[in-house]
Amino acid sequence: MTTNFYIPEDHAPLPPANADVITTACDYCIVACGYKVYRWGLEQPNGGLGADENAFGVQFPTAPLQSWVAPAQHNVVMHQGKPHNIVIVPDKDAKAVNKTGDSSMRGGLLAQKLYNPSTGTRDRLTQPLVRIGGSLQPVPWDFALEIAAEVGRHVIDNHGANAYCVKTYSYQYIENTYAITKYALRHVNTANFSFHDTPSDVTSTPGFRDAGFDNFGPSYDDWGAADTLMICGTDPYETKTIIFTQFIMPAVQRGMKTVILNPRETAGIAWLKKQGGLHIDLNPGSDTLVVGAIIRIILENGWQDNEWIENWVNNKWESSSGFGQGTRNTPWQWRTTWGKFQTDGFEDYKKWNLAQKEYDPEYAAQMAGIDVDKLFLAAEMLAKPDGDKRPRASIGIEKGFYWSNNTGNTNAISALASVIGTGGREGRVIGRFGGHQRGGQSGGKLPRNKSPEKVPGRRRRAIDTDRYLYSGHTRMAHVIGTTWIQAMCGSQGLQKKFWELTTANPHQVYTYDKQEIIDTLKARADSGGMVVINQDIYLRDPIGAKFADIVFPAATWGEVDFMRANGERRLRLYQKFADAPGHAKPDWWIISQLAKRMGYDGFDWENSNDVAEEASRFSRGSRKDFNMIKVAAHAEGKTLHEKLREYGTDGIQGPVFYNYDTKKLVGTKRLHDTEMTSEELAEKGLSDGPQGANVLKKQLTAFNSQTGKVNLQKHPWGLFSDFYAWLQPREDELWFSNGRINEIWQSGFDDVERRAYVMQRWPENWVEIHPEDAKKRGIESGDQVMMYSDRVANFKDTILGVHGDDFQFTKLMENGHIKLDKAAVTAVAIVTESTKQGCLYANMIDMRQPSNALTTRVVDQISGNYNYKMGVANIKKLGESKYKHEFRAFSFAPRNIV
Amino acid sequence: MIFDKKKRKESAEEHGKCMLSRREFLMYSGASAGAASIMSITLFPGTAQAKQTKARVVGYPRMNIGKLSALKENEPVYFNYPDDGPNSQAILVKMDVPAGGGLGEKQDVVGFSLMCTHQGGPLIGQYKVVGEHRVLGQCPFHLSTFDMRRHGIIVSGQAYESLPQVLLELDGDDIYAVGIMGLLFGRTDNIIAMQEA
Repeated sequence: MTTNFYIPEDHAPLPPANADVITTACDYCIVACGYKVYRWGLEQPNGGLGADENAFGVQFPTAPLQSWVAPAQHNVVMHQGKPHNIVIVPDKDAKAVNKTGDSSMRGGLLAQKLYNPSTGTRDRLTQPLVRIGGSLQPVPWDFALEIAAEVGRHVIDNHGANAYCVKTYSYQYIENTYAITKYALRHVNTANFSFHDTPSDVTSTPGFRDAGFDNFGPSYDDWGAADTLMICGTDPYETKTIIFTQFIMPAVQRGMKTVILNPRETAGIAWLKKQGGLHIDLNPGSDTLVVGAIIRIILENGWQDNEWIENWVNNKWESSSGFGQGTRNTPWQWRTTWGKFQTDGFEDYKKWNLAQKEYDPEYAAQMAGIDVDKLFLAAEMLAKPDGDKRPRASIGIEKGFYWSNNTGNTNAISALASVIGTGGREGRVIGRFGGHQRGGQSGGKLPRNKSPEKVPGRRRRAIDTDRYLYSGHTRMAHVIGTTWIQAMCGSQGLQKKFWELTTANPHQVYTYDKQEIIDTLKARADSGGMVVINQDIYLRDPIGAKFADIVFPAATWGEVDFMRANGERRLRLYQKFADAPGHAKPDWWIISQLAKRMGYDGFDWENSNDVAEEASRFSRGSRKDFNMIKVAAHAEGKTLHEKLREYGTDGIQGPVFYNYDTKKLVGTKRLHDTEMTSEELAEKGLSDGPQGANVLKKQLTAFNSQTGKVNLQKHPWGLFSDFYAWLQPREDELWFSNGRINEIWQSGFDDVERRAYVMQRWPENWVEIHPEDAKKRGIESGDQVMMYSDRVANFKDTILGVHGDDFQFTKLMENGHIKLDKAAVTAVAIVTESTKQGCLYANMIDMRQPSNALTTRVVDQISGNYNYKMGVANIKKLGESKYKHEFRAFSFAPRNIV
Repeated sequence: MIFDKKKRKESAEEHGKCMLSRREFLMYSGASAGAASIMSITLFPGTAQAKQTKARVVGYPRMNIGKLSALKENEPVYFNYPDDGPNSQAILVKMDVPAGGGLGEKQDVVGFSLMCTHQGGPLIGQYKVVGEHRVLGQCPFHLSTFDMRRHGIIVSGQAYESLPQVLLELDGDDIYAVGIMGLLFGRTDNIIAMQEA
């Protein structure tokens, strides 16, 4: 079924009792629920209704919460060259994550991800392609690889390693990310490198890093163990469903309170409100003010956690010791040349906070567009002691928060945590809820000193790959598993530049001769143009379909054995159970073939496990340290993958320790576990420190600083305030924000593009608008609208900062580094009170109607991240969409009906 | 023709396409209650295991579930369909706004399964009227909500399928349930006799 004229199936086969059972985890969101794949040949009979006749061992029809196979959970795939039935359902035996087999809609539909030419997946890339005569034409692997390697070698040798850009996903399995980073960073050694979600290779949460908090320290149990849970910039129900339904929901039903910062009211938030949750529906980008004001109220009332501050927050001298890499050799001290962040401890911070006029609750509430009473209530819920008992508060953040004033918000929330004793105890944790799963394993280090961009002071700054390309320095772009363009801010301007450098360049391939193809592409690079290589599972538009000269078909989930961790550092083996389509190969294999042809050594891997075993030593000391799994495996005569397979869907939480006495692998429930007992340490074999190959880092029982205590830092509004003032909606403009939606999430290439049911629900881009804003503009639900802006700020140059404020927005404007672009994106309007008045909210990426065209291409001046959730737009009605008057596709019912 | 013969008012002409194959199926399968016939089919054709077997082909029962004149606006009534076996609980409601597959003058009478297609949560008591919207939900288990004006499509939530819609037919003042679009939770086929074949 591939059209949105979707007719639901009314039959699903049951797997027979003798079906193969293969464990895996979901490919999509951070939570990574455990799944079981049931596989049986088409020639075998299906399972029967009797408990002994099917693989679930239960009588059908089944009762609520028992096993069931929805029609969409069945598919037919090739396995060892023969067609097989598969049924993919959440693992009812799971003891971790999705206990008892809960699932989201995304994961529930995993079976449809698999390649089957009779479904929407028929356009999987199955052969390498080379653009000849304007068309991408199938060629053998050797042919495509030799062209790529020769042109790549030429670009590096003649234009320098920085002319070779690698833009890649950060998450799509440990084996692949290791191979890619080993190639790009260790061997090519280019500084022109960044991941899918940021223009530069930088931390997503600068405030967490500087405070000493790991992004993923907490365990999922912790999200349900607080008295008050603060949720910033996300609705976990929508975007990490099982954290909500398995951990947060039951805790709220037991009495856990919630404070939510979000301009929107989605299903989970509506439910939390109904249970007494406090929803602070703030304006986009005002979070720092709101959090700063909450801290001030806590300080003025003396509700801070003095005991925690005394024991676990750095004082003046401790703070100066930084990360223990030598005087001033720490990230925030590089930034604090001007004294903007570092404090002399709690009293100094308190004095600073109370002196900032913008953290006056009245001012903050006015800027945030909220009732000031909510700030006082939030402070009470988070910190007001009941007698001598403090509320235990946890804080979880995600992109709506850290991609709106990236540095300010993450610093402010870290300060709040430190003041109220949140960070290192059960039920008092801080972390990211998470976006993608954690499948990154670096095989090299970014050569930042080769970056031509410099911030004021002494420090080089990681290349901004968008601006570097925009400036014409990138001669070869190697793009792996990301759309690049639509995923970045101000995307329409970026797309135009791609077109200029590739399609509009006079050197185009019109020949059968391989050497002539190579010479043509070299000539393009030498002329100031750009050559594009793209690795992906589908041909993406425009990066692959319009701009790529060479396309490599990648194998993915279920087609190769891979390892990955989730948002509580839980490592699992994602097993192969189907053949990859055609000649598609895993990214590590493609990289190894290319690397060998470019003359690099160390790429002679036979299989996925070989890569994982090599990668394991580079994981030592990290949050998902899995090196000891390999050590244990080898001690038992097994491979790393074989050993991890034994852990099934439950997996094991990193960092993993091997107790040489008990011969047991022991995982780690939470990082920064200041309450870890000596028994727990003994179980890990750490009573006398790390033994053998075990690596013990401070983060296990303390924080990531030299002292192991938290750095309490300032969160100056002034770094952001001029930009924020400039951005404020003018005349008829509204705030424009965007993000994920439950049914689509990040898996858009599967969901809305290839699944009939999801395509029917969300057939095209949409935008939520408040009834008051809609009425003024004559917009009704179902209308086709145009969102547009002529002030998409586009920071276009790679610059050397000399003076302290050279990267301040006002200065960038003054010095001519900002160009104002136009952008226009269409959508179908949903008129609903679930989005705050004055704000628009659209899908984060519809490939045809990319929201990021409207968000500003100006990075956070401290971190280098985009603030993706911040923009302004006008909106007007174009006409009526066909969905307005039909009853089949779309739904205009609001998401906050409870 | 087993559907309401009155001129349908649905504004989207394309809507008919969606229902077409089900109508054909219903016509092929016969509309009499519990009609079953035996036919000969080949299992696993083209393989060594190929064998002839007898299979029962079963149609949906045509079941009288109430009178149109007795329905009060936005006051649901409940019935079981297609049988009284497990997971057959369904809702019938006159919603006062037109809906996909809606019956009656206003095209506003619809029937749906009451078992959430995520994990079988009970949707009884979850009928909601919000402005022009009509939904079933949130499901008490995991908060899924379904749009009753749009063939039970998910509004927000975790279900893998739309809420199965009970196909209705009007004969005079009598409302008949005549089929189901989609698969009821917990079943492998909607008609249990078919499952046993």
